[in-house]
Amino acid sequence: MTLEPVDYAIISQALIAAAREMGAKLVRSAYSTVLREARDGSAALLDAHGNTVAQAELIPMQLGTIGHIFQPCARLYPVETLEEGDFFAINDPYSGGQHLQDVFLFHPIFVDARVIGFAASVAHHLDLGGGSPGLNPLAADVYAEGLIIPPMKWNMRRDWHGGNFERLLRANVRVPHQTMGDFDAQMAANAIGAVRLQELAARYGVEKLTAVMAALQDYSEARMRAAIVQVPDGTYQGEDWVDDDGIGEDTLPVRATLTVSGDRIAIDFAGTAPQVASNLNAPFASTISAALSAVKAALTSPDIPFNAGAARPISITAPHGSLLNPRHPAPVRARMEACFRAWNATMKALSQAVPDRVVAPGFDTTTVGVLSHLDEDGWSVYLEIYGGGYGATAQSDGCDAVDGPLSNCSNTPVEALDQDFGFFRVLEYRLRPGSGGDGTHRGGLGFLRRFEILRDGVQLALYSDRFRTRPQGLFGGDPGGTGHCEIQRGNETIRLKSKDKVPLRKGDVVTLAVGGGAGYGDPAGRDPADRARDAAEGYVNVG
Amino acid sequence: MRVGIEVGGTFTDLVAVDGTRVVVAKVPSTPHSPDIGAYAALGAGDIPAAAVTDLVHGSTVATNAILERKGARVAFVTTAGFRDILFLQRHDRRNIYDLRYRKPEPPVARRDCFEVAERIDASGTVILALDAAAVRRELLPALAAGGYDAVAICLLSAYVAPQHERALEALIAAALPALRIACSHRVASEFREFERASTTVLSAYVQPVIDRYLDRFEATLGEAGFRGHFSVMQSNGGRLPAIAMRQTAITALFSGPAAGVVGAIRQAGRSGRGDLITFDMGGTSTDVSLVMEGEPSLAPETEIDGLPIRTPVLDIVSVGAGGGSLVWIDDGGMLRVGPRSAGAVPGPACYGRGGTEPTVTDAHVVRGTIRPEAFLGGTMALDTARAHAAFETVAARLGADIPGAAAAAIRLAVANIVRAIQLVSTERGRDPRDYVLLPFGGAGPLLAAEIADELGVREILVPPNPGVVSALGLLSADFLRVAGVTRRTRLDADTPAMLRDAFATFQAEAAAEFRTLGLAGALDFTLTAEMRFVGQAFEISVALDPADLPRLTTADLADRFAAAHRRVYFHGGEPGRAIEIVGLRFGVLRRLDALPAFHERPIALAQPESVPVHLQGETVTARLLDAARLSAGTAAHGPALIEGYSSSIWVPPHWVARRDEAGNLLMQRIAA
Repeated sequence: MTLEPVDYAIISQALIAAAREMGAKLVRSAYSTVLREARDGSAALLDAHGNTVAQAELIPMQLGTIGHIFQPCARLYPVETLEEGDFFAINDPYSGGQHLQDVFLFHPIFVDARVIGFAASVAHHLDLGGGSPGLNPLAADVYAEGLIIPPMKWNMRRDWHGGNFERLLRANVRVPHQTMGDFDAQMAANAIGAVRLQELAARYGVEKLTAVMAALQDYSEARMRAAIVQVPDGTYQGEDWVDDDGIGEDTLPVRATLTVSGDRIAIDFAGTAPQVASNLNAPFASTISAALSAVKAALTSPDIPFNAGAARPISITAPHGSLLNPRHPAPVRARMEACFRAWNATMKALSQAVPDRVVAPGFDTTTVGVLSHLDEDGWSVYLEIYGGGYGATAQSDGCDAVDGPLSNCSNTPVEALDQDFGFFRVLEYRLRPGSGGDGTHRGGLGFLRRFEILRDGVQLALYSDRFRTRPQGLFGGDPGGTGHCEIQRGNETIRLKSKDKVPLRKGDVVTLAVGGGAGYGDPAGRDPADRARDAAEGYVNVG
Repeated sequence: MRVGIEVGGTFTDLVAVDGTRVVVAKVPSTPHSPDIGAYAALGAGDIPAAAVTDLVHGSTVATNAILERKGARVAFVTTAGFRDILFLQRHDRRNIYDLRYRKPEPPVARRDCFEVAERIDASGTVILALDAAAVRRELLPALAAGGYDAVAICLLSAYVAPQHERALEALIAAALPALRIACSHRVASEFREFERASTTVLSAYVQPVIDRYLDRFEATLGEAGFRGHFSVMQSNGGRLPAIAMRQTAITALFSGPAAGVVGAIRQAGRSGRGDLITFDMGGTSTDVSLVMEGEPSLAPETEIDGLPIRTPVLDIVSVGAGGGSLVWIDDGGMLRVGPRSAGAVPGPACYGRGGTEPTVTDAHVVRGTIRPEAFLGGTMALDTARAHAAFETVAARLGADIPGAAAAAIRLAVANIVRAIQLVSTERGRDPRDYVLLPFGGAGPLLAAEIADELGVREILVPPNPGVVSALGLLSADFLRVAGVTRRTRLDADTPAMLRDAFATFQAEAAAEFRTLGLAGALDFTLTAEMRFVGQAFEISVALDPADLPRLTTADLADRFAAAHRRVYFHGGEPGRAIEIVGLRFGVLRRLDALPAFHERPIALAQPESVPVHLQGETVTARLLDAARLSAGTAAHGPALIEGYSSSIWVPPHWVARRDEAGNLLMQRIAA
């Protein structure tokens, strides 16, 4: 059918608004700090074939591949066989998922007994079983990381609210009050998406709505291609490094080769380290998300809807058996570090082609710190996600103390932690002056949090990166600072590795420090006024 | 004579009433010194200052002081270890793909942030006592040396136990009496330290600016013979005597949009309508709000320039869709309207001031719903040819003719406002079809019927003089104080007693304060509980009638909360989910007596009988009417264009408009 431009504009904006409402309600009705405060979840509307049409822009990492994760479900349970109340659930990294904690739910949306699309949501669940609360840094394989949900079909009436699937989940999680509440928030987000799509179908007709869902993907594709055409043809390479696998000392290279030809980009990660025995492996879906996000952020204006169309001009490959495409059943919980290096390597490759569009490497690390405690009332689990300083660009200093570019988690207010947890107290939360690399524009600052442990029997689990390898500057900029984690126990200082798990004692003081971003351009070119301001405000170490 | 003066970005509006006489005036604003525009408005209305018995003022002074960073020099003091909270903020980004992202910049420099050793926990227990000796030794000399106008204090847990903030305040006041002090437990007594600190700092930042402005305003008025009451409008929809604003300047932010909602409510009340969706469409943006039973909705917080302000404000959603919003086609070929605007300079192409890009106003000129010779009561001629020329490129890209392109732009502008209305209605579990649409602002009534059609709304109420409803709102605003407190408690058998006690405390304090302010008469009180399921982070407001408090049971509270949760989130109240109250919000209200009737200001304009209007795919002949001459009871069937001084009204086919006894224009959809 022919689509009036104005109908197309109106309906497509309504689809984006509906996805945004889904995301807002997912977060606002959630229970765990990781979803409600850190907002580690996403939501989307898909067409009847499972292609992403519109997404709530919450977490870039989860946004790249919702559609890919849908396909294994539809292969097992064809769309035309679905009934009212059915839904798909999946978290298996080896069936298109990312890590087990991200559980994806897909609800078909019916109009006149026909599926016109799907409502999708994903949330990072605080605990999904496995060898240790919230995070098991010692997992040797994916089985030790939590409950695996292969592509499955369930039904709301039969399997939720006291039904099979809900009871299975409830029996496998340590903090069911929070986890099951978060699943309800996902269900609610999908229900809202379904109602909004049905309203649009009633207002404009299924045929027009379906045409717009296709056109919106074509639109994102057209804008992505228009942006890629601006990049000079050629082959470009970039490399960055993960500190180590948490067991040995060897740095793990991540290498991107980017080939631009006309309106297409191919990204290949050949030359990247082989997969490792610890949980730092990134499932291929995660690698795709990371690389797509880098291209989108560097080349396009932020208002392009990130949907299946935006991904069409970009092909991504990584050797099977590598850190970025591991073989089953390698553990994958801490996938973000390798993903961030894939992002950095892609960005560095792009820096050779379009130096004014890119960002220098930032701290660009997901640091997950978990403090947990078991008492007579059950488990109490506090998980927080830390970013660091951003890298600088040709136009600007890097942003201080903010979540990394593939993520967008908020902090938990200290006063909320004071209310919710009695087994530790935050003593300090501050910027780290001098942690940003110097340059014509300087890198953003890292920050630290310091905790006093108030009970015996508390456990600390941690994964992070860039404790040893600093983010390298671009075009003469200085590198950014590293991170660290240490325990002060009386007169003794215990340094932790970037991937670690330790028992704590009452009176311990734990410092978790994240680093800054690298600079962009020769420091000699920095505006003296900016330099004076940094000194006066204490953003750099003086003398 | 009672007078309301609203200083906006472009125009200063005045509405005055005296018995049955109504004066309406609109003069250009004077941004460098807004009071000059305000006096000019009095002059334009021919109102001597000595004749004014009650003056209510709203201005953008506080807002501009923050946006232009022209506030006081402020020092910030917090608990040791947390000096950087204003800069750390919430660790998130508003735009997830922006590589050059910068955080909102607080109005305090990092070098002006200080720490004091002390700590209180969430239960109010002192973990570390405030070290007064260290304060005298280190903090006081630094504050003395810094040349500050004001100091903002925000200590951890002060929302539950303010004793350290009070002690610190006393130490500073004793040593540095000239320094103004803002304490977080008074400005925003709620948990979440960054939001509370931000509010406190902004309050300290604007207070001296507001004080100076009000001093000057009162002095000049006094010299001119003014002896009446002087009040200032707040963002919560109420007014306070100017003297009270010396303590709470932060509530003066965004008072203009709030005044508009209040004016709309008052005017609709005269026609017996209380369930309203108001939309105020101006030059660059549209403000939308939902009103239930004549009461505006409050939001617990807002933000300015990206910085959070934790203080109750009218729940108003703003979208970048106004008369000046640009119509354009993006690099993916999609038609867009706004959020960029042609602004005051160059303005829409039809203004003939150099603008060449098409705007919503140009689209109206092309389709015929703005008559170039009748704009602003005929005081400003518009250029039709330029409006057409501006649409040429867009029309070519769309493969449409120029009227077709203009019609598409109008539909898209309508869709943008419809989405804003859905934000305050459907997304909050309210069906817009249960409400009357109330358009105002210069550009609102021209689009109201088309917006209503999209939403399925069947009734529209247009107030007289739609372009000055904010100034009317000032006159009709009640005296109001709203206060929030964190009172975190699980819902149990003791909760109703806790509510009764907390309410009684507020009631006594508020009554005493209003007495001190010279506000005699009966007071009304409101009470709202901010509730959530245990474990959630975001609260839902549950309004409680204080009259019900003596009989209120725990089960009532649980039921009301579960119903509210289901309305918004489509689930809630599953067995076993514990509920908690996080905070309480109180309001005290001294209602005004009724205002006299309000009429359309006449325009003396020659009008032909009809004009052609180009709708999508057809041209209709619309009757042309004068809003001031439309007498009560007369029906105007669409298509009709009703022209007024400050705004015109478009009545499309299938709609009929009637002036009612209250002076409002009631538009109804005719069943097809």
